[in-house]
Amino acid sequence: MIVAAWICLVAPLAAALLITLLGNSISRRVAGYVATASVLGSFAAAVVVLAKLWSEAPGDRSHASTAWEWLTAGSFHVGLRILVDPLSVFMMLIVSGVGFLIVAYSIGYMDGDNEERRYFAYMALFVFSMLLLVQAGNLVILLAGWGLVGLSSYLLIGFWHDRPPAVAAAKKAFIMNAIGDATMALAFFLLIQHRQSLNFPDAFAVGPGHGWLVNLVALGLLGGAIAKSAQIPLQTWLPDAMEGPTPVSALIHAATMVTAGVYLIVRTHAVFEQAPRVLELAAGLGAGTLLMAGLIALVQTDIKRVIAYSTMSQIGYMFLGAGLGAYGSAMFHLMTHAFFKALLFLAAGLVIHALAGEQDIRKMGGVGRLMPVTRITFLIGSLALVGVPPFSGFFSKDSIIAASLSRGWYGAILFTVALIGTFLTGLYAFRLYLIVFPGEPSPFVREHLMRDSHAAGMEGAHATGESAHEVHEHTGEGPFSMTAPVIVLAVLAVVGGWIQFAPLWHPVSDWLDPVAPPLAVPSNTQEALASLFAVLLGLAGIGVAWLIYGAKRLRVPKLAFSQRLLEHKFYFDEAYDAAFYRPAVWLAKGLGRWIEGPIIGGSIREITAAFREAGLDTSRIQTGLVRTYALAIAASLAVITIVFVAVR
Amino acid sequence: MRGPDIAWYLAVAAFLFATGALGVLLRRSPLIILLSLEIMLNGGNLALIAFSRLHGESSGQIFALAVMAVAAAEVVVGLGLIVAIAQKKLDLDVDKLSFLRG
Repeated sequence: MIVAAWICLVAPLAAALLITLLGNSISRRVAGYVATASVLGSFAAAVVVLAKLWSEAPGDRSHASTAWEWLTAGSFHVGLRILVDPLSVFMMLIVSGVGFLIVAYSIGYMDGDNEERRYFAYMALFVFSMLLLVQAGNLVILLAGWGLVGLSSYLLIGFWHDRPPAVAAAKKAFIMNAIGDATMALAFFLLIQHRQSLNFPDAFAVGPGHGWLVNLVALGLLGGAIAKSAQIPLQTWLPDAMEGPTPVSALIHAATMVTAGVYLIVRTHAVFEQAPRVLELAAGLGAGTLLMAGLIALVQTDIKRVIAYSTMSQIGYMFLGAGLGAYGSAMFHLMTHAFFKALLFLAAGLVIHALAGEQDIRKMGGVGRLMPVTRITFLIGSLALVGVPPFSGFFSKDSIIAASLSRGWYGAILFTVALIGTFLTGLYAFRLYLIVFPGEPSPFVREHLMRDSHAAGMEGAHATGESAHEVHEHTGEGPFSMTAPVIVLAVLAVVGGWIQFAPLWHPVSDWLDPVAPPLAVPSNTQEALASLFAVLLGLAGIGVAWLIYGAKRLRVPKLAFSQRLLEHKFYFDEAYDAAFYRPAVWLAKGLGRWIEGPIIGGSIREITAAFREAGLDTSRIQTGLVRTYALAIAASLAVITIVFVAVR
Repeated sequence: MRGPDIAWYLAVAAFLFATGALGVLLRRSPLIILLSLEIMLNGGNLALIAFSRLHGESSGQIFALAVMAVAAAEVVVGLGLIVAIAQKKLDLDVDKLSFLRG
């Protein structure tokens, strides 16, 4: 079983290395197949691990394996250690399973791009990093995976490196994540000092009487989690990260990477539970983010950005659940979210692909008539996102909302915010759907999609060779390799939620209980109450969206101030710009002007000038006349002789 | 093995050396300077041999032989330089060969 876990871990790494080393000797298509096959292999290995774990008693489902001693410093040892337990298997299945579908989709999406091999090597590297993160058996390996995930995300966001916005977005994501990495590393230093070990789970047994220490460690871990998961106040990188290719957005910014923060909280829940205030802070940040992201999503005009903000909002729900101690619900929502959010992104990718890279929803409209499969799958994804029964979001989101009910006045605030969030979810999700899909095709859509009906179809695209990327002359919805993953994800988004229906059956929570026993189990009444409110408000949101964008009976309310506030994303970017970037530039300019110029540069200039002067002066002795030299020699000899004689 | 006193030999040696040194300092033709150098070396040699004889030791004479060998080598180099200068059609005048002025 451990062997299967190792295979699951290294298969994508092997694929990444293979594609890199083989370079031009394999075709682009083959690079895609290699990456897809490796991730599929990972998924198969993860299934094997799951089956083996399933057959064991719930108490013994934790297995560690150390490949070799990796770092040694005095009495502190770190091994390349992986841990296989219900939580890591759960994540392995999501990462490799959803990852497989997305990488397979990429073969069609990236077809004709100039650097497909690099793309697939990066994708495989990303899957490896994420698997390393979730399989890590100690915090150092986890941090290594954490950093590698940040690196792959940097590489993939900036994949189109000839586009300045993509490069800027990649740098932004990397820097924002680096802040979280730094706070995490600081937390680890404290743990090393205190526990001499970072292995799971003994690193977390900090023990009572270390209040400040536990709080600091928990804060550091929370810093890492919010940076990776794009929660307030480190959320600004996620929408910009939409500059990357759409499958990247689906894989990294919806299904896997951004959920790493939730995984971290659940994995290190023992620390957080000793610092209950920090855990409450996590819940509060999650609630704040879900509200803020839901509001911003209402005014975005880029199809991918709307979905990106909905991702932030949904991860806010997960943080809320994890912060309330409902670990099973949070992880379950992570899973269903991975399904329906990957679905939404990939369906959006089909639209973008068909419209030659256009992402502005104001130019779209009536796409659904020409892309029926995309329309239905996108609708399923939206319904699952809003949490309409029987789609998957309903089952997972409501348990999280219900968990807040048992927390007194703080819980009541969170409950209200979460419910407002469901209303907003319904509103923004169906604003997007209703603008893009139903109705008559807009002129822009007509121009791009109608032409295809009498074009040669896919074969035509391949016959034109490398330049196909610009032309996109295939039939409306793209090749089968792109629609198939979308359909599979749509099925999962429908049935995925039925795995767990909190009041009646809850295998996911039971499965995760040995790793992270929940702090709060909502009663059936609370579940029913939360579900009722959430579904009604979600439907109300859909209804309002329909009145405004579908039936056009209501006009969009004109609120200039709030609109400006939302379009500027609550001025977070501007505030960071003013608080950090500008002062840094001013400081640098000031130092350059007052310190570097006069003091450092000036001193160097003066020293060189003095030496040059001295050299010029001494060089005058060198007359070039042989006779002067001879005279000098003779005279010195005479002087020496006289001195010699006189001294004697 | 009698002869003039050592002082005479040294006087001649000093005269030869001074003549050579003046030649080196005053003349401008490199050829003459080379010749003057030889005169200086011979002055030195004479002093060495004179002392060698005074002390009844052979080391001074051997030293003089070594100086002659060095002088021969030096003349070879010096004449080679002079030929090279002449081939470049430059004036054989050390005051004009002052390209190494700082």
